[in-house]
Amino acid sequence: MAPQLRLNAVAFVSPQNHPILIRTFEQPRQDELKYHYIAHTSLDVIDERIQAATASKSTDCYLGLLYVEDVAVYGYMTPLKVKIIIALELSDSIVRDADVVAIFKALHTAYRRSVANPFLRLNVPTENVTDHSILVSAGNSRWQAFRKRVDEIGRASYGFVPSPLFLVTSKIQ
Amino acid sequence: MTAQRVTITYSAPPAFLATDHWKQVYAALLSQLPLRNLHWKSATRPNIRTIQELDVNLVSAEAKQTEHTSQIPQTVLEKPLLSAYIVVCDDTETYRNTVKKQIKEWHSTVTQRKNMEWLIIHIVRPDAIATSGRMFQMKASVLDKIKADFNVEKRDRCVELVWAYDSDYENPTAWADLIGKLKDGILCAFDAAVAQREEEVKRSEGQRQMPGWNFCTFFILKESLANSYEGMNLYEDALDTYNELEILFFQVLREKNLSWFGTLINPAPKDDSLPLLSHSKKPYRDLILANTISVFDFRTYLLARQCSILGYLGHVVEIARKAVAFLSAFGRRLRDIEEILPTHFIESWTYSSALSVVEQCDAWATGLEMNKATIASFNAVKGELVELARHQLDIIGISVGHLPNRPPFSMAFPSNSRRDGGTPATSSTQRISKSEILMALEDKNAFYKVYIGITNRAIELYATAGRRKFALKMHGDLAALDVHRGRLSEALQTFTSLPAHYAPHGWTSLESYMLFQALGIHTAAEKPRDREWIFILLDFLKAYVQDLGKELLMNTEDHIEYVTSLVQALHEATQEAESDLSHHDHPAISVSVPNGQARTADNRDGALLEVQVTNALPCDVPADEVIINLTGRDGAKLTFLENSATPGIYSLHSSQVRMSRLSLHWLHSSTPPPSSSSASRSKKPPTLVSIPRDIRALDVRLRQPRRMELGTPARIVVAFNTGRNHVTRASVKLSAPSGVEFRHNEATLIDSDNDALEAGEDTFVLSDVEADKTVYVSVPHSDASAFHAMRVNITVEYTTLVEPDVNRSLTLVRVVLTSLPLAINVEDFFRGTRLFTRFTLSSTSHQHIRLKSTELRATRDDDGLKIAKAMPRSRTVTTITPEQPGKFLFQLDSARGQDREPLKLHIIYRVLREEVESVIESAVDSSLSESVSLQQYRAELIDTLVQALEKDASWVNRYEATGELIVPGIPVQDGEVGEALAHLIETLANPSSNQEPSGEWREIIIPVDVPQMHIVAAARLRVLSNPFNPDAVESLPPLFAGQPISALLTIKASFHWAPAEDVEKRSYRMRYDIEERTKDWLVSGQKTGEFIAEDDRTFTTSVTLIALHHGHLILPKVSVAALPIPGEGRMKAPLIPSCETYQAHGAEAILVLPRGGRSTFVVNMGGE
Repeated sequence: MAPQLRLNAVAFVSPQNHPILIRTFEQPRQDELKYHYIAHTSLDVIDERIQAATASKSTDCYLGLLYVEDVAVYGYMTPLKVKIIIALELSDSIVRDADVVAIFKALHTAYRRSVANPFLRLNVPTENVTDHSILVSAGNSRWQAFRKRVDEIGRASYGFVPSPLFLVTSKIQ
Repeated sequence: MTAQRVTITYSAPPAFLATDHWKQVYAALLSQLPLRNLHWKSATRPNIRTIQELDVNLVSAEAKQTEHTSQIPQTVLEKPLLSAYIVVCDDTETYRNTVKKQIKEWHSTVTQRKNMEWLIIHIVRPDAIATSGRMFQMKASVLDKIKADFNVEKRDRCVELVWAYDSDYENPTAWADLIGKLKDGILCAFDAAVAQREEEVKRSEGQRQMPGWNFCTFFILKESLANSYEGMNLYEDALDTYNELEILFFQVLREKNLSWFGTLINPAPKDDSLPLLSHSKKPYRDLILANTISVFDFRTYLLARQCSILGYLGHVVEIARKAVAFLSAFGRRLRDIEEILPTHFIESWTYSSALSVVEQCDAWATGLEMNKATIASFNAVKGELVELARHQLDIIGISVGHLPNRPPFSMAFPSNSRRDGGTPATSSTQRISKSEILMALEDKNAFYKVYIGITNRAIELYATAGRRKFALKMHGDLAALDVHRGRLSEALQTFTSLPAHYAPHGWTSLESYMLFQALGIHTAAEKPRDREWIFILLDFLKAYVQDLGKELLMNTEDHIEYVTSLVQALHEATQEAESDLSHHDHPAISVSVPNGQARTADNRDGALLEVQVTNALPCDVPADEVIINLTGRDGAKLTFLENSATPGIYSLHSSQVRMSRLSLHWLHSSTPPPSSSSASRSKKPPTLVSIPRDIRALDVRLRQPRRMELGTPARIVVAFNTGRNHVTRASVKLSAPSGVEFRHNEATLIDSDNDALEAGEDTFVLSDVEADKTVYVSVPHSDASAFHAMRVNITVEYTTLVEPDVNRSLTLVRVVLTSLPLAINVEDFFRGTRLFTRFTLSSTSHQHIRLKSTELRATRDDDGLKIAKAMPRSRTVTTITPEQPGKFLFQLDSARGQDREPLKLHIIYRVLREEVESVIESAVDSSLSESVSLQQYRAELIDTLVQALEKDASWVNRYEATGELIVPGIPVQDGEVGEALAHLIETLANPSSNQEPSGEWREIIIPVDVPQMHIVAAARLRVLSNPFNPDAVESLPPLFAGQPISALLTIKASFHWAPAEDVEKRSYRMRYDIEERTKDWLVSGQKTGEFIAEDDRTFTTSVTLIALHHGHLILPKVSVAALPIPGEGRMKAPLIPSCETYQAHGAEAILVLPRGGRSTFVVNMGGE
């Protein structure tokens, strides 16, 4: 049986470190602060990882386990430098990177689809193609679709079963 | 447990072992150890493993054999990897007889042993070689014989050691061969042993699914491999083995095949306080072998082994990271069985373990050389460990009531655990053993001390690691503790400084949380709601309205109520504020202009602009005033304050909402953009606001005064039109950006009855002006003749009778012409006692100018001046154009020698355009007086006509000649307006005859000086019919070319126009000069001469002229000049009197006939 990865919270952070979206899944209300803190503090660790990755010329999006603080915090950075941070419920078993990457890929796809929405650029000057505020606005409360997609992934993670493909690439065969 | 080392056994004949010789050899051998740079090439591994250094035990074979061997798989190093036999024999005979047998005996035992290599070391003395060297090498040496006897395989297992008692046994060359053989032997044996063990492990693992397979047994078996690697200093391989074991453990765990384990945990008294990474704190291996080890102990042991190997490798960062993950994850696991554990066991265990790992890591790290990045991550991960320990304090603190059960303390609870905060009931009778925790449980202050100490330690570690955001969070925790302990001022300080760290990148959720805390503390501390509080509150509201801002604040109903009360409090606080406060770009409220079209207020002055104020807060915001600032074309600023507005197009500049003393500002557009960061905003197109013209509103216009007098201070006329309102008071201020100054205090009313004008220093004030009335005020200003036109800013502030409480203000920019439309040129002609003055008037612009009259007047009537004007009576109005100037001639007669006041030229004129406009206006007015319904179209009609005239100039000539205004190119329109228009065109084309066009005339008064001249000379050449009687008045006889003609030159001087001061002068010396015109005349006689001129006297002289050809000839000109009067002035400079000469005969011509008569010439034809 594959290990179940319980996704407690997801945070999307823009390349300029602006929060895009922070979602928690079935967490007690008073823990919201914890996950906001986690999203924020993770940026420090992500910076460290990025430096290390630059030094080793690595181009991997997956930044691995960032740190453990009652939950396991993993990081991922899209090629366009949007950071995705997830907090997984700690489990006393080995968590395979491939499973975590699968979650990240799903989240990345959700984000990509939402940002592709042409109406995000409504009322935004066209010359500012690289303006991150457009990216940030994807998590804006006005843009429901993105939240919905992320929430679906969050729900799915409770019964997350990695596909056979990931089993093949995982460490133990 | 120290790692097993590689063992080499040695054997030799017992007799030799007892000698000193052996002892020396043994010592020398030991000195060559440890072995260095071993290269292990394993068949199962892709890479060559290099062992930098290897410790080796060198023991005698007898000693080794006595050791007990157990059934439990030990390391492969437990048995010797190499057995050496030492031969000392120089003599082949001896060898053949005795030594060979000994070796054979030894050899037979060692070759039976598995996984062991053997080596025969032949020790020779250097002199032995020397002696043997001298002999014939017919016989093989001892070594060769040994080789021949024992080297059955390819491998050479015999080696010679050249040994000298006194030689330097450090000499590496002597040892190289032996050491190389030793290494080869060890590696070879090790390789074989490992291969065999690996095979066993594999076999055992393959039987995993079979009943009876025991993980513990397997673990011990596989661990022996890890231990072997460790003994060989192959730490990576050892670590890999342990990692594989760990993975297998989890796999087995998942398969729930754990029957051979004891319980999950079997807490021993000191379990919670023993150092985590010690693998000798319990007899772990025995427990494993006994199948009684608990999962807790097993995991701890596994971790400790992994970490100790990592410690050898110097990977301290990874150790700490592993420890954090283990403590968190396994701690979570233990939560499931918390009820059977001693109270606070998990917390105490995690706390002590985390701190002990930090200590252990520091111990391992001493002496390690780490680069900067590694040091940073080491500190970071130590920070994580310390923070983990801190979280245990949070949990303990909440459960015993030292801390409140709320964030941030409650964040330490695992996300799916109970949160009642009470001490969990437990069935265990044991107690935890960590003294710090026990003390902290008892004593609140001790707890706080530990808590703060640990937190500060974490902050320090994070700070050195560069993890600013972690440190910030910790500071927030400390502040929360301060709040709980009632140290409010410290807490407030922290919470007011923290938001600034979260704001820059839009972490509004955390920012608003911090501000929320700050507000709460502020209230709790009962601090005055001062400026600082207002700004905290505004910041809070700012963060609150952002997307993420309210995520961390209680639940929905609560925070609406909370914000409502805050806004209420804010309103109260702003009313009591001591000074004005302003805040820029607050996002809670936004002001926009949805429709840029302002409306005129129907019955009041000013325009109405629809402004949309959006409040993002969930509650009402009391606002006193909304102010919109607009920027106009000329940089004119307009404040939209529900009062007067100048028509035009504006862009929205800024807006403002006032709440008592607090004003919130927004900048909508800025030119130029203040910084590049706001570039994105400034790229938005500006919001345009167009304000329509309200023709019934108060208006101020400027114009040139109708009557201008050159030489007096320039004035400007302000036409103040009240429009629909009775204006009670209006102050008007004029200013010109060009620097022209207006003298408000000299302002005067023009044709006024009783309107009061108060002239002030920089404004003038009009009071009580009735509605629909225009008041003209003349304001003098400094010289503006350098400009063609002058831009004047007019600011009017006024109140009306209807709305006495509303102060309206109006800012206008008007341009007024300062140059004259006319250019004037004066020419003077003296004729004796008369003076003719000719004025040439020309238009300076393209405009035609209509002149009604020009008049030259003396300033005083008793001046004795007689002025006559040459002006045709027939025409009343003259038109001058740029191409066609008008000339006006005046004749002046005056008495001699009087001081003359300057004359004044009065010109009454108007520009054609003004005239035509007034013609149209009066025509429209008279036509509209018949129909009231058309009254509203008055402006439109006038506009249509004026525009039509502007487009086509063909009407001008006809109008100027006849007064008929043929309006060209107006399309026929239907309806009332069309009819009215048609009627108007008809009227304009047929003006009532002989009526001067209505409208105002302008007047310019130009002062003209009466010119002065010392001498006016009239020169005349008169041809005499009879040279002997100059006075005869006979008709001239015919004159012929070539004939001498007598002429009389007379010069009459007049001193009439001499300046008054020189009236006394009676005579001047003068010189005349007859012009030489060699083509027409020969002049004979005194062509040039001097004479004394006296007033009204004539100087006469005669000359003879000869005409050079026939025709009408003009007589030569005579020039007359006054000679300088020598040195009369004080400076003795010669003074030249002014003099003007006119030719009295200038217009006369003389008819010269061709020479008549006949001449006969006789030409001899020859022939005689």
